[in-house]
Amino acid sequence: MVEKERPILSVDDLSVSFRTYGGRVQAVRGVSFDLYKGETLAIVGESGSGKSVTIKAILGVLPKNGRIDAGSILYNGEDLAKFREKDFHKIRGKKISLVFQDPFSSLNPIMIVGKQITEALTLSLGMDKDKAKARALELLHAVGIPDPETRFYQYPFQLSGGMRQRIVIAIALASDPEILICDEPTTALDVTIQARILDLIKEIKAQRKLSIIFITHDLGVVANMADRIAVMYAGKIVEMGTSEDIFYRPAHPYTWALLSSIPDLDTKEELVSIPGSPPNMISPPKGDAFAVRNKYALELDFEEEPPMFRISDTHFAATWLLHPNAPKVEMPEILAERIRRYAEEKLANAR
Amino acid sequence: MVITLFIIITIGFMVIRLMPGSMYADDADMTAAQMEILRAKYHLDKPIPVQYGIFLRDLVLKGDWGTSIKMYIGVPVFDVLKMKIPVSMYNNLFSLLISLPIGVLLGIIAAVRKNSIVDYTTSFMVVIFISVPSFIFATLLQYYAAFRSGWFPIIYEASATGFAKLHSLTLPIIALSLGPIARVTRYLRAELAETINSDFMLLARTKGLTEAQAILRHGIRNSLVPLANVVIPMFTHIMSGSMVIERIFSIPGMGGLMVSSINNTDYPLTLAVLIFYSVVSLVTVLVVDLAYGVIDPRIRIGGRHIE
Repeated sequence: MVEKERPILSVDDLSVSFRTYGGRVQAVRGVSFDLYKGETLAIVGESGSGKSVTIKAILGVLPKNGRIDAGSILYNGEDLAKFREKDFHKIRGKKISLVFQDPFSSLNPIMIVGKQITEALTLSLGMDKDKAKARALELLHAVGIPDPETRFYQYPFQLSGGMRQRIVIAIALASDPEILICDEPTTALDVTIQARILDLIKEIKAQRKLSIIFITHDLGVVANMADRIAVMYAGKIVEMGTSEDIFYRPAHPYTWALLSSIPDLDTKEELVSIPGSPPNMISPPKGDAFAVRNKYALELDFEEEPPMFRISDTHFAATWLLHPNAPKVEMPEILAERIRRYAEEKLANAR
Repeated sequence: MVITLFIIITIGFMVIRLMPGSMYADDADMTAAQMEILRAKYHLDKPIPVQYGIFLRDLVLKGDWGTSIKMYIGVPVFDVLKMKIPVSMYNNLFSLLISLPIGVLLGIIAAVRKNSIVDYTTSFMVVIFISVPSFIFATLLQYYAAFRSGWFPIIYEASATGFAKLHSLTLPIIALSLGPIARVTRYLRAELAETINSDFMLLARTKGLTEAQAILRHGIRNSLVPLANVVIPMFTHIMSGSMVIERIFSIPGMGGLMVSSINNTDYPLTLAVLIFYSVVSLVTVLVVDLAYGVIDPRIRIGGRHIE
């Protein structure tokens, strides 16, 4: 599934903070992950967990009040964290592309979509106009837009949300990037369109051997997409593993809570929600940031931050529960029961 | 538009006639009989509604706007206007032409360098130029740049042509333009600052455009759409400012004409000036509405579906 070689992108101990009137908001606090060629890495977390900030840092498009405090982002032997604006021009759109959350606001409302695709080619790659247009039509076709010749000359407001997102994907693919970052690409779309856009992304990934970083707050969406999943909370990765690891052997209480709060049609239990709200990132709490909302929290969780414990070669989690001396705590019964059922269904399907 | 104009003419006509004072009250050397004859000649002895009826009849049937009855006796009012309009328009259009690009440029600089010294300085100047009326700047400029230093003529030289004419109009044009420049700057700064933060600007950058390319291609054009809105009040602002400025620099234009025709109770002339200003405002509104269609495809194409 995943080729074990040198990672194509390697984020190490990345910290990002924002200057605000209230103080420095520590949005990302020491995030590390590797992305391998041809894999889809999903970053999951609730709003404000720092997932979007992480990818903005990778692309060098942090807002003006944001800055990278520490860490490195290695791509092709170069550290993007030390890049200046002009250095990013050889990366952005050419090697690493971004698909946005909201296709309604990410296209320029008063420019024909064709031009929005070709300008990436003509301006930053220096392609001539006719060639760029041919390429744009090809891309429109590839992302499943019917009648590209007509659509090329239309404005975004003449297209549906799903089509606009396809255009955004076409723009992202324009100069054949190696890495595609999808920032909640389906959140703003209808559920039926969501599925089609996800299929499109999967198809494109397979065809072009792309590596994808897929940001979402919806575990249901990543279930079929991701090879590996990183769960983020309060600016840190709390658990990281393959899809299987996260869905069938979750180890962090936050992951347990997230998984339990996915609606399940087969049980009659009330939907589980996580109590409380994420901490204020101007002064992150001492110890484990999730401790106050975590009914399995140990005394140590309020004192000291847990390190990443290694569960298997692919699976890591930052919780003291994994310490050899910790009391044995099992995941909530609802979740355990659900996982057993899924596993059985999966087995049944496999036969 | 015709209806609007009609309403303006009607109200204007009534208000002007209702102004206190009789047009011949100050002519001491005229006998009562002479005054009666003149009043009868211009229908001033009749009730105002009847006067209005006569005015409309002449206007519609003969296309006759009346003649000046005091300042340029016997000259049709539109001939008087024809003489004055070019002088004023030269000023006003020039002022509009320089204030738009300068305002746009300053607005862009302020928005791109938001919260920097440049931005703060610009914003400070903008507040001053918007709040201080243009005639203050006019007198200051007249005193320092003309009287004290002698760089420019103190008043307009009517006989000058070409560059000399422009030279003598420099100060009035500057005085007229400061306010509009400030307005455009302030508006564009706000618009562009918002556009720069929009998602499609971010997308433009992530697809590999430089920041300058992104602002140029995606930011500015999008910010210019709502700017068309402020151009209307701006042009009328320039025109009304121009009335006072023309007095200060002795420019024989529309502004001076309006003030003196009111002072001299030259009814037809006042009305004609009023109509002129109304038509210009209405045309400006129309031009801006049409321009929207050109700038903003959402209006251009959106309209086609409805047809």
